[in-house]
Amino acid sequence: MNKSRKSSDFWSAMGFLLPNLLGFLIFTAGPVLFSLAVSFSNWNLERTVPFAWTGFENFIDLMHSQDFWLYFINTAYLMIGMPLSVIGSLMLAILLNQKLKGIVVFRTLFYLPSFTSGVALMILWKALYNPDFGPINMVINTISHDLGGSIHVAPAWLLSTRNVLGLRVESVGLTIREWGLGARDALVIMGIWTAIGGNNMLLYLAALTNVPPELTEAAEIDGASKWSLFRNVTWPQLAPTTFFIVVMSFIGGLQGGFDQARVMTDGGPAGTTTTLAYQIYTKAFEQFQVGYASAISWVLFSIILVITLINWRIGSKDLNY
Amino acid sequence: MKKFFVFTFFFLIVLSVVAWKIQPPPNPPGKTELTWVSDDNPARRGQIALYNQLYPKDILKLDPDNSGMEKVIVQSLAGVGPDLFDCYDGFQLSAYVKSGIAWDITDQLKKMGINVKKQVWPCIFPDLMLDGRIYGVGTNVSVNAIWINKKLFDEDHVPYPKGPWTWKQFIPIAEKMTKRDSTGRIVQYGLLCDWYNWPQFIMQWGGSIYSPDGTSCTLDSPQCIAAIQFMHDLIYKYHVMPSPVEQAAATAGGWGSGTISFFAADKGAMALGGRWWLCTLRQNSVPMDLGVVPCPFGPKRVYLGYGKATLINKNSPKRYEALNFLKFEASKAYSNLICHQADGFGPIKADIHDPIVLHDPAYPQENYNQVWINVMKYAQPEQISPFINGNTVTIIINKQMDLIQGNEKSVPDAMRTATRQINEEIQKTIAIDPTLRMRYEKLTGRTVN
Repeated sequence: MNKSRKSSDFWSAMGFLLPNLLGFLIFTAGPVLFSLAVSFSNWNLERTVPFAWTGFENFIDLMHSQDFWLYFINTAYLMIGMPLSVIGSLMLAILLNQKLKGIVVFRTLFYLPSFTSGVALMILWKALYNPDFGPINMVINTISHDLGGSIHVAPAWLLSTRNVLGLRVESVGLTIREWGLGARDALVIMGIWTAIGGNNMLLYLAALTNVPPELTEAAEIDGASKWSLFRNVTWPQLAPTTFFIVVMSFIGGLQGGFDQARVMTDGGPAGTTTTLAYQIYTKAFEQFQVGYASAISWVLFSIILVITLINWRIGSKDLNY
Repeated sequence: MKKFFVFTFFFLIVLSVVAWKIQPPPNPPGKTELTWVSDDNPARRGQIALYNQLYPKDILKLDPDNSGMEKVIVQSLAGVGPDLFDCYDGFQLSAYVKSGIAWDITDQLKKMGINVKKQVWPCIFPDLMLDGRIYGVGTNVSVNAIWINKKLFDEDHVPYPKGPWTWKQFIPIAEKMTKRDSTGRIVQYGLLCDWYNWPQFIMQWGGSIYSPDGTSCTLDSPQCIAAIQFMHDLIYKYHVMPSPVEQAAATAGGWGSGTISFFAADKGAMALGGRWWLCTLRQNSVPMDLGVVPCPFGPKRVYLGYGKATLINKNSPKRYEALNFLKFEASKAYSNLICHQADGFGPIKADIHDPIVLHDPAYPQENYNQVWINVMKYAQPEQISPFINGNTVTIIINKQMDLIQGNEKSVPDAMRTATRQINEEIQKTIAIDPTLRMRYEKLTGRTVN
C-alpha cells in the first residue's frame, strides 16, 4: 500500500470517527478533566469568593469531614442488598430458562421494572411505605394484631432514622437505640426488588442459554444430581457473567442513591439517605462549592477504581471460561 | 427489512411535517418576548394575560420547567437564562446577586417613580433588597393566620375562637377539637401546621436565628429553645398536631397531599397558613365553611410575613423591556388581580385598602378579609445572615428538626448542635470570602486569621 493511499485511508477513518470523537472530547473527556482541575481549587459559584488554587485542601477537608464519612457509610449501606439481588437474579433467570408455555410473558413481567420510569416506581414505593396506610404496614399491623400484639408495631420506614445495623445518625458508630427498620432499609428493599428482575436477570438468562448442552448432557448421563449439575457445570460457566454483574453492581451502587434521595426522601430523615452522589449535587448546586464537590467526585472515582481493581484481581483468578 | 426502514423513513417525514405545521406561530413583528421563570400556579396565567393586555408590545411567557435557583443561576451564567425569575427569600437574593445575575434596578425604579422603601410591604424587603440596593418590586406578600373549619366547630358546639389570643388560650380549644377513634388513633387534629413555620414561633418567643448583625447563630438561646420546645409539645405533649409519621400517613392515604388538602379533608379543625391557601381551598370539591382568626402569639405578638419578588436577569438583552413587568407589579390592576386570585396580596401597601380586598363580589362568602388586613401590620420577615449560604443553613437545621420532630433528640441538644454547626460554617465562609471577612471584622471588632 503506497503512502498516499495510507494517508487517504487515515483521513477517511478520521472522518467517520470524528463526530463521535468530538462529542466524547467535548462532552465527556473535557468535563472530566475540568472537574479534576477544579477539585484543586476553591471555585464557588458565588462570585464574591475569589478563585484560587488550593492544592489538596478540598481533599484534606473532606477526609476530616464527619458528613463525608456518614454519607459514605450511607452509600455502602444501600449496597448491602447487592448479594441478595445477584442471587435473586440468578434464581429468577434459572426459573425463566425453563421451556414452559408462556415463558415470554413471565420474562416480560419480571423485566417490567427495568423499563418503567424510575421516578414512577419510587413514587409507588413511597406510597407502599406509607407508615399508616401503606399496604406493607397494613400487612405487618394485621399480622401483629392477629397474633395478639399491638396494631401499631410497623416501622415508620422513610421517616425513621433506624437501621438494621444500628448505625448512629450523627456520628460514625453503632448504638442499640438506632436498631430497627428505617429509611435506609426501605431503600435497600426497593433496590433489591428493582435489581432482581432487571438487566442482571437478562445477563444470566443469556449466559444460561450459552451453557454448552453437551456438558449438561454428559453430567446427566453420569448421574449427576440437579444440585451437582448446577454446582459443577452451570455455575462455573456463569462465572464471567457473575464477575461482570458484581463489578457493575459495585460501580452502580457506589454511584447510586441520588434518584431515591431526590424523589423519596430529600436525603433525610436527618441525612440518613444522603449518599455521596447526592452530596456532590447539594455541595455543587445548592451550596455552590463546585471545587469541593469535584473533590468528592474524584474521591468517589478513586474508591470505585480501587474496589474494581480488587474485584478484578480476586474475581479474575476464578475465571477459567 | 428494507420495507420496514423505508416505511420508518417516510413515517418520520410525515411526523416532521406535522410538527412543522403545528409549531407555535412566530411572534408578530415589533413584539418583545419575555420569559418568566415561575411556578405553574394557575394564578400565573391570569397575571400573564393581564400583563399582555396592558403591555401589548410585549409577549410574556411562563417557563415553569426551569424554576429552581440552581437552574436559573447556571443557565443565566451560560447566557441562556430567563428574562425574569422569582426570588423567594433573602438567601436566594444574596445568591443571585453574588453570582452576578440579579440586576440592580435602584436607579431605574427611581426614574419610574417607584419608591420601594416607602410603598412596598417591609416583610418582603429581604427578597428584593440587599445592602441598600434594590433588585425587584415584589410579586406577592402573605402572612400566617389561623384557618378555621367552621363545620367541625359547629358539629361539636364549640364556639369559634376569636383573636387576639395567646398559644396558652389556644391549647384547650385545640385539645377539645382533637378526636380519636376506638383504637386511640387521632382522626381529627386541633391544629395543622407545617413544621417549616418554625421561624414564626422563634419570633413569637422573642428569639432570633442570628445575632442582630448576623455574625453568629443564636438558635441555642433560651427563647429559641422554648419556641421549638412548644412546637414539639404540640405534637408529643398536647397531642393536638400530627407528628411527621401521622402527617405522612394522612397526606398519602387518599386524602390528597399536603397540609392544605389534609385541612380540606376535614382532618384538622384549625390550620396555620396564609391567604394563598384559598387558591386550593376554593377548588375543593365540597365548598368549605371557612373562618380566619389571627394566629395565637407567645411572649411577642409578631407573625411571619413572606412572599416573593420577581428579579430581572442582568445578562438578559431584554432587561430594559423587562422593567415593564416590575411597573406592572406596582400597579393597582395587578394588586387587585392578586387579591382576587387569593395569591396573597399585592406588594404595594396602599392597595390593601381597595374595597375589593375587603369584599370581592365574586366571593361573597369570604367575609374574613379584614382579619388578613389587620394581621399584615404585624408581619415580620425571616432573618438571614449574609455570612452563610442559606442552603447550608437549611441542610443543618432540617437535619436537627427531623430529629426533634421524630422525638429522637431533645430540643436543647438539637438547637445547640445546629448553632455550633452554623457558627462553624460562618467561620468557614468568612475565611474564604475577603469581602465578608472585612464586613465581619468591622461588625465584631475581631480580626479573623
